[in-house]
Amino acid sequence: MARDKKFYLIGQRPRELLFYPPGSAPLRRRRLPGTRRHLLKWRSRANPKSLRQERRLADKRPLWWTIGLGALLVATPFLSNSMITIAAIFCMFAAINVLWTLVIGTAGIFSLATLAIVGIGGYAAAVLNVWLGLPWPLMFAAGGLAGLFVGGFLALPSTRLDGLYYALLTMGFAEICRVFVVQLKALGPTNGSINNVGSFIPKDWFLQRPGLLLGFGGAFLLLLLSLLIFRIVNSERLGMLLQTAREEEAYAEAVGIDYRRARMYVFLITSGGLGVIGAFYAMFYMSISPSIFSLDQLLLLFAMIVIGGLGRSEGAVIGTAVVVLIDKGMLELGPPRILLIAAIMLVVTLFANNGLVGIREQFRNYRNRKRSEARARRTEKGGEVMPEEAIEFTDKQEIYYRRFQKRLRDHLKTLITDELIEEHRKSPLGKHSDALNRVLNYFRRGEMADKYAIMRQPDGFHRYKIIAFSGERGAPPRLVDDRIYEDINEAYHAVFLLRVNDLLES
Amino acid sequence: MTNTRIFGYADPLNPKAGDAVDFMISVEGRHEVETKLVRLVHGDENPEGPGFIEEEIETDLPSWLNVKRQYTQVGSFARCDDPDRRLDGLQSFTVFAHICPTLPKAERQMIMGRWAIEGNRGYGLGIDPDGHVSLWIGDGESVDQITTEIPLVPRAWYFVAARFDGQSGEAELHVINCVNPWNSRISTVVPFEDDSWIKETLRVRPAATADDAVFHLAAATAWNRQRGTYASFLYNGKIDRSGVYDRVLSREEITALSGGAAPTADGLVAYWDPTVGITETGVDDRIVDTGPHGLDLAGVNRPVRLMTGFNWAGADSFRLAPETYGGVHFHDDALTDSGWEVSHSLRLPANLRSGVYALRLRAGGMEDHVPFFVRPQTPGAKIAVLMPTFTYLAYANEHLAYEAPIAQAIVAHTPVIVAEDLEYKKLEEFGLSTYDHHSDGAGCCYSSWRRPIISLRPRYRMPAMNFPWALPADLSLLWWLEHAGYDYDILTDHDLHAEGAGALAPYKVVLNGTHPEYYSEEMMDGTEDYLRGGGRVMYLGGNGYYWVTGLRAGEPHCIEVRKLDTGSRAWQAEPGEGHLACTGERSGLWRSRGRAPQKIVGLGFTTEGMDESQPYERMPDSFHKRVSWIMQGIGDEEPIGDFGLAAGGCAGVELDRYELGLGTPPHAMLLASSWGHSDNYPLVSEEITYAFPGRGGTQDAQVRGDMIYFTTPNDGAVFAAGSIAWSQALPCNGGDNNVAQIMRNLLDAFTKDGKLPGSQYTGDEKLWR
Repeated sequence: MARDKKFYLIGQRPRELLFYPPGSAPLRRRRLPGTRRHLLKWRSRANPKSLRQERRLADKRPLWWTIGLGALLVATPFLSNSMITIAAIFCMFAAINVLWTLVIGTAGIFSLATLAIVGIGGYAAAVLNVWLGLPWPLMFAAGGLAGLFVGGFLALPSTRLDGLYYALLTMGFAEICRVFVVQLKALGPTNGSINNVGSFIPKDWFLQRPGLLLGFGGAFLLLLLSLLIFRIVNSERLGMLLQTAREEEAYAEAVGIDYRRARMYVFLITSGGLGVIGAFYAMFYMSISPSIFSLDQLLLLFAMIVIGGLGRSEGAVIGTAVVVLIDKGMLELGPPRILLIAAIMLVVTLFANNGLVGIREQFRNYRNRKRSEARARRTEKGGEVMPEEAIEFTDKQEIYYRRFQKRLRDHLKTLITDELIEEHRKSPLGKHSDALNRVLNYFRRGEMADKYAIMRQPDGFHRYKIIAFSGERGAPPRLVDDRIYEDINEAYHAVFLLRVNDLLES
Repeated sequence: MTNTRIFGYADPLNPKAGDAVDFMISVEGRHEVETKLVRLVHGDENPEGPGFIEEEIETDLPSWLNVKRQYTQVGSFARCDDPDRRLDGLQSFTVFAHICPTLPKAERQMIMGRWAIEGNRGYGLGIDPDGHVSLWIGDGESVDQITTEIPLVPRAWYFVAARFDGQSGEAELHVINCVNPWNSRISTVVPFEDDSWIKETLRVRPAATADDAVFHLAAATAWNRQRGTYASFLYNGKIDRSGVYDRVLSREEITALSGGAAPTADGLVAYWDPTVGITETGVDDRIVDTGPHGLDLAGVNRPVRLMTGFNWAGADSFRLAPETYGGVHFHDDALTDSGWEVSHSLRLPANLRSGVYALRLRAGGMEDHVPFFVRPQTPGAKIAVLMPTFTYLAYANEHLAYEAPIAQAIVAHTPVIVAEDLEYKKLEEFGLSTYDHHSDGAGCCYSSWRRPIISLRPRYRMPAMNFPWALPADLSLLWWLEHAGYDYDILTDHDLHAEGAGALAPYKVVLNGTHPEYYSEEMMDGTEDYLRGGGRVMYLGGNGYYWVTGLRAGEPHCIEVRKLDTGSRAWQAEPGEGHLACTGERSGLWRSRGRAPQKIVGLGFTTEGMDESQPYERMPDSFHKRVSWIMQGIGDEEPIGDFGLAAGGCAGVELDRYELGLGTPPHAMLLASSWGHSDNYPLVSEEITYAFPGRGGTQDAQVRGDMIYFTTPNDGAVFAAGSIAWSQALPCNGGDNNVAQIMRNLLDAFTKDGKLPGSQYTGDEKLWR
């Protein structure tokens, strides 16, 4: 029952930027060259309150990306040398995480071999550069090819092994790589590292401000590229196929979606990308060491994804920013900073459904839940419409109908007596008392959906069952119960009793 | 094993003995059906009556027919044959139309274009599921589109134009609001600004569709393996003037067209002006192209014509301002011709007895009857029963029990349905009755016999009230005539419409069916002429001679009615749209046009209710010697017809009243009236000027059925028992009852030549008591 029957004022000013294009002048919609896509998702609507045509940016994510990445790009040249390095590392790890998100989120493959592929790409590029004199621009290709090769190898078991086992397998693979590199005789003197790797940063700029800026620029470009790959893979054909598979694998297969192959493609594409990042990593530090294969690095990366939120590129980037800032930017804290990261991770997993990026939606759900609770407290089913519900009615007359029907029902309930039911039983059709007439007329005027009817059975003239209409053209009625009535008046009365029951329960 | 489904229809519905009748049959689940010609003797299976009776007739009909599944094109649209393909393969073009969309839909609705859905080829201007106007261009590989940004407001007039430059790929959409104070649901006080002008460069160029598509208004061309090509993406709403240019028009030219200016000739391929071809006697299904090539559009499933156009400014009818009646209303669920292939054509024997016949089809444990009405080659009997085939069509496949929330309140019943009803409703491809609404809420004004009609089946009971309606109810009358030994011929409304009084003239007496509600002017005239010439009519129905109904000459299969202003109407025509497109005359009630049914048969509609029927009670007039012969054998206070297959009485369902004010002949004698109707019998709306409580059967004296008699010139006469339930009381008690007694008294007198009994008692009564 409504306990708190207070009518609150509702209404709000518009809270976003709106444009009002005139219909008498052309509105040109531009496309991304070579595609049928528009750069931004502009949408118009007729404001339901003013009927005015308003145009707004329906998807504001491109705006936030531009502001965020633009700020990073503009601000970095003014930062200290160490901060520039941190910004560059952020970009690099963000790029790795964005691609990893493709594997875990889009393809749904729980692979922990991400850093291993980066490492292999880096080592392959470094080896070719240091021993075979491969010039640095070709190192990207070398890293990519190595990544692709390893990715192809790792992809094979991905469709055969389920989540946890595949995760263990890939973790084991990373460890094997580390042990292999450390035990290589040729790299013995350097504990498995390869140094003096050629780079896009000139040797004499290394660790100098121009070199750092160049390194940052490269890493930033790398991040943009990985975001582009994410966008193309996740939101286009491959991503759509896989989204169907994520919702219902059997259904996807039934409609002819080869989601296993699609997963494989995503895995291969990201592996190639990760290999390129590996090559960049080796060039950025001008060296590469087995620590890239280590578990602690992997877990740090994992923390980034968990804090940011799985499955979305924003999550990968924001999570990376948080962890990199703490891990590299708060070096003076010493080991406790790792505890801090763990604590943040714990808090996020405990309280957020899907990392930091999921908070907004989580908040909206929370607000919706609160609203339903408040409504449940303040209104009753089929009862008076509150101002906050009224906005959901296009036809305001319905609101009055609700009020009228509620009060009518309340009155009719007082008319239902044993005598009235007996009167109907004796004669369902024809002249009736005033009270029964009123009750019957209310029943007869009800809406079509779920309205009771009688169905004659094919096995006899006087054999009836009770059904209820769907209220939709073409949709058949449903059987209400299986009982057979052998007299039409009994069937009429049974329908009457059902309706009385519905009335009393309302 | 798949379920077997059998459907069929006969064309024509009213052959003469000796003529051929075509049967169109569709069967699913079987390739053969067993066929038999049967004469329908009685239909309703109610155990209180004679039950279902058919008589098998030996003919040269093969006992098995090969059949197949036939498909029905549902939805009205217009197509252009375009033999020279002038509308195909356009590269740079402009298409435009004045439109009034009525229903946003979950699928695309095509306004105009040549679009092949299978293969994505051609061009099409339409409305997308969000309600935006969009132009589609397809090259056979991919589709590109330009759409406006806000949805159209339903039931408002707009001008839409799309232009496409095949060189640059630049497309433009123009939407210009045409709402005036008269033409739309909303007026100009509404501050909506729905004009749009969008520019976008598309990547795709339209490919020619060749034979894969035709140019359509209100549809696109679909294809699938079973059906072949058919029309889909059907549009709901009106389209007024429309056209195609093979060049890009300027904004100025587009603005000029939106105001209704005549199109300039330069580059004009076609300009369809629905106001061309409107005459005083209506308009046909052709939408005339006034452009250089004469590419007229042919309407399919009767797009509704004579509708108000974008420039309508309140003219009462198309006669006053035909140039404002360019509206053509298209519906995605209209059906006036199933267009099935003939499964068998049967030449009826020349000596076949007149009656109601059916082709009985049996297969896989299922059975269907495809009825038709056979009149004799030459009239032989003295009695003719006029089968109300117009009414049969008006109610054909009605959805009232399923869709009208008020239906249960009207009939005061819980509906009783059977499995066959569900089969028909499930398919939704056999069209609507004039009691239904199209999917956009507009009333359905056409009904045709060129489709399977479930309500035209011998065992059919109207679900809403659970008793026979129309044909099966009328079969009770035929069964009784046969049982009582009267020789009769049958005629149909269609015969009376086509031949007027000439169709009735050979007969001494003509009996109406239970519900002769739909009448054309020709039928009114024919009946009146017959009575003036000495004919005798037994009006044995309720709510007869009610709606002004029309047929287009040469197309008897499809009736048209517009329900408007007053009367018990399932829908109401929009302002200005009350005239029949097939004849040009004003529709609505005959009473509103100066020909109340009282003027012909003395009675007119007064109340309806379906809960309980009552008996008639003799009124004092029935003791006058002029008419007392009618009551021979009936006790002075004996209730007449306190039984019946329609709600247990002979006065009920729909009842008619004697009313001098509406033209009942002044010398009509009131023989009997019914009493005791419940409040579920309210006075009909056309009788109500001011509304006040207490117009139901327990409080209003006008709620009753009357039985009257009057003479007409040249020894003619009318007996009228104004009740639908009358004839359904005849089969009770084995056909021997007091309703039957009255019928015998009348038929015996009416079938004799010369003076009628009682006609000598014209003197002034000298009375002592």
